[in-house]
Amino acid sequence: MHKTYRLGRVDVPVLKGATLHVKPGEWVAILGPSGSGKSTLLHLLGDLDQPDADGGEVRFDGRSLASMSRRARNLYRNRSVGFVFQFYHLLPELNVLENTFLPALVGLHRWEYYRRIGQLRQQSTRLLESFGLGHRLKHRPRELSGGERQRVAIARALMNNPKVLLADEPTGNLDEATGAEILDLIAQQHRDGLTIVMVTHDPAIAKLADRVVHLHDGRIAE
Amino acid sequence: MYHALLTNRYLTSRVIPLIAVAAVALCVALVIIVVSVMTGFLNMVRDSGRTLMGDVVIGYPVTGIPHYERLIERIEELPEAEAATPVVDSWGLLKMPYPDGANKDTETVQMWGIDPESFARVTGYADTLYWRPPTEQQLKTMADDDPRRQMDEQILLDGLALRDSRSDRAGIVPGIHVSIGNDRQSDGSIRPARNGYWWMPQWEVTLTTLPIATGGGMLEPESRIFPVVNEFFSGVFLIDDKRAMVPLEIAQRMLHLDQGEIVDEEQLDDDGLPKVIGVDPAKATMVLIRAAEGVNPDELREQLVGVYDAFRAELLQDNNALVKPPPQGMGLSIKTWEQQQADFIEPIEKERELMRTLFSLVYLVCAGLVLAIFWAIVYEKTRDIGILRSIGASRFGISWIFLRYGLVIGIAGALVGVGLAYLVVRNINTIHTAMGDPPMWLAIIMLTLALVAIALTVYHGRRGALMPITLGLLVSITLIGAGAVILVLKDRGGVVIWDPSVYYFTTIPNEMDSGTAIFTMIGAVIFSLIGAFLPAAKAADTDPVRALHYE
Ligand SMILES: Nc1ncnc2c1ncn2[C@@H]1O[C@H](COP(=O)(O)OP(=O)(O)OP(=O)(O)O)[C@@H](O)[C@H]1O
Ligand SMILES: [Mg+2]
Repeated sequence: MHKTYRLGRVDVPVLKGATLHVKPGEWVAILGPSGSGKSTLLHLLGDLDQPDADGGEVRFDGRSLASMSRRARNLYRNRSVGFVFQFYHLLPELNVLENTFLPALVGLHRWEYYRRIGQLRQQSTRLLESFGLGHRLKHRPRELSGGERQRVAIARALMNNPKVLLADEPTGNLDEATGAEILDLIAQQHRDGLTIVMVTHDPAIAKLADRVVHLHDGRIAE
Repeated sequence: MYHALLTNRYLTSRVIPLIAVAAVALCVALVIIVVSVMTGFLNMVRDSGRTLMGDVVIGYPVTGIPHYERLIERIEELPEAEAATPVVDSWGLLKMPYPDGANKDTETVQMWGIDPESFARVTGYADTLYWRPPTEQQLKTMADDDPRRQMDEQILLDGLALRDSRSDRAGIVPGIHVSIGNDRQSDGSIRPARNGYWWMPQWEVTLTTLPIATGGGMLEPESRIFPVVNEFFSGVFLIDDKRAMVPLEIAQRMLHLDQGEIVDEEQLDDDGLPKVIGVDPAKATMVLIRAAEGVNPDELREQLVGVYDAFRAELLQDNNALVKPPPQGMGLSIKTWEQQQADFIEPIEKERELMRTLFSLVYLVCAGLVLAIFWAIVYEKTRDIGILRSIGASRFGISWIFLRYGLVIGIAGALVGVGLAYLVVRNINTIHTAMGDPPMWLAIIMLTLALVAIALTVYHGRRGALMPITLGLLVSITLIGAGAVILVLKDRGGVVIWDPSVYYFTTIPNEMDSGTAIFTMIGAVIFSLIGAFLPAAKAADTDPVRALHYE
């Protein structure tokens, strides 16, 4: 894929023909220096951004995202992938439980809401309990520690049982011990069959993955 | 369905939306109050027409309509007409019983000679008579010193008959504000001024009129003393201030409109006096007609035009009738009350529409406010928008959060505004009275609160933080200002905005105009939505990647 940002009149090419295949159930770590375009690549995979025109495409289950309707792509972001960010990105006005089942709400129609909301609450409560957050359900994100926030973010990403987890430096903002806990959690999901694409600039963390790729000069190298 | 959750949270977790709701509410309340009072005013003008003059008036000033009894008979044969009554009106001078001594106060009045029985059937005369024994209902709320507590039925009967039963003489019923002897209280009731010294129903007045000859010249003034038998209170200040009712026959006699003889100066009869060749019938300057139930005054007027022509044709053929009624147009008019008052009603109607239009500008204020506030919120919530997009929210879904938000603010503001307007309009007379005579306790409360505010400011500001000091000072100054304004008003004797001599009625209309209320509410909601459109579009256009980078 190619991705070029325009800064004023200057074209800044970030991805210059990066190619990456991820097999189902695989855990791939993308390693690269700061500013190499790791986040950009992840955003393209998650349909938050699109490659340049004629700059390649993202295929999921054999289907090109570019060929899908807006609606199908909203569904793709909602159901097929889950995002985890370095800065957690929880909604400050919602409590832990609400933040967690938010993706389920987004995909829900009004008439399904009343029928399904009880079940969704249960499901997200169980998820949070399994992440050791059972006592934090009604808390606001700002009342949580960084590690706890990231666990909520992971719970949110997993809420709709996606096929792929896209994690952008999930431990980048945490101390080593807390980061290790988060990585444990991710490894657990991987063992349960989840496909994971994780961005990091820490080779030690990348080692946990099945496969490590390097992003260098806008291209992927094994 | 996440929209509802987010709208609720965005609404309840900050103060700005509450300010928006308050602003929309104030705008809505303002429009409704202004238009309601004006509409109420127009309705009062229309209703007062019926109370004072019936629905249609056939008028022929000064000389009067001859054979009016026959006209009334013909009118009452119409199914569209409920009743008709003759009136003789003219200007007169009323000499009051005050002050003591020879130089009595003299007021110009509009003398109305009426036939009380039929007059009461056409107009609301019976209900306007003020002095009467109170009903059970009235007794409950009536002040202890209200003179009506001591009244018996006779004073009402005397007023209805225009006759003083004590002296068995014809009486006069002036409007309640003709004499300065009546003091209006804040509850609308009347007390005799100066401890009852000039209280009218115990006095006699002298009415002087200038009769006009058939040829147009003035004749000798006619004076007559009348005992005051009651007073009427129509609520229309200009009438209550100016009009006095006397019995029809007496007014006719005083104006030389009563029945007379027509003589031929050339011929002499057996006694050597000019020969009587016919009768000059009594005349009425107006015939007032009340429409039957459900009949529109305009319809009735159409019918009356025909009736009058037939009546005139009948008399033109009648050789015994030497004096013929005038043709329509030549000074004789047939008008509904609204037509009669058109010069007065139309400008008010125009003014109301102007007000409605001008005040509709407040919708733009609503829209602008919502726009500014939402713009700020969308800006602040950029990161949330990115997050929501990353978990699959559509662009439309994102914009719907803010549209919904605007809708909620519009609806909440509209409801609060209507509630506020209702409270103000219902209590507008109390509020107005309070402005005329501001209660002392309000000033004391304001100043006490100001002291509390100052104390709190000192307490919270002692660490030097500027917010509490500024806020505290603002509140304190506002409270002190409010208290000071009340004290100054108190000192100056208050403000009277609704001066009855300017605004025609003695009370301010206090009915909320539901049509205006509904339209204003809908307008506020629509314009709040319009205000939300732009920020919502901006939210939808937000690039999720940039939004997530947004710190
Ligand atoms: N919206 C944008 N507009 C312009 N330039 C951008 C934009 N987003 C990213 N860039 C640029 O693209 C390059 C790659 O950015 P990206 O965030 O993908 O790097 P990264 O590898 O994730 O770095 P880091 O490890 O610091 O997160 C950077 O030089 C950045 O300045
Ligand atoms: Mg990055």
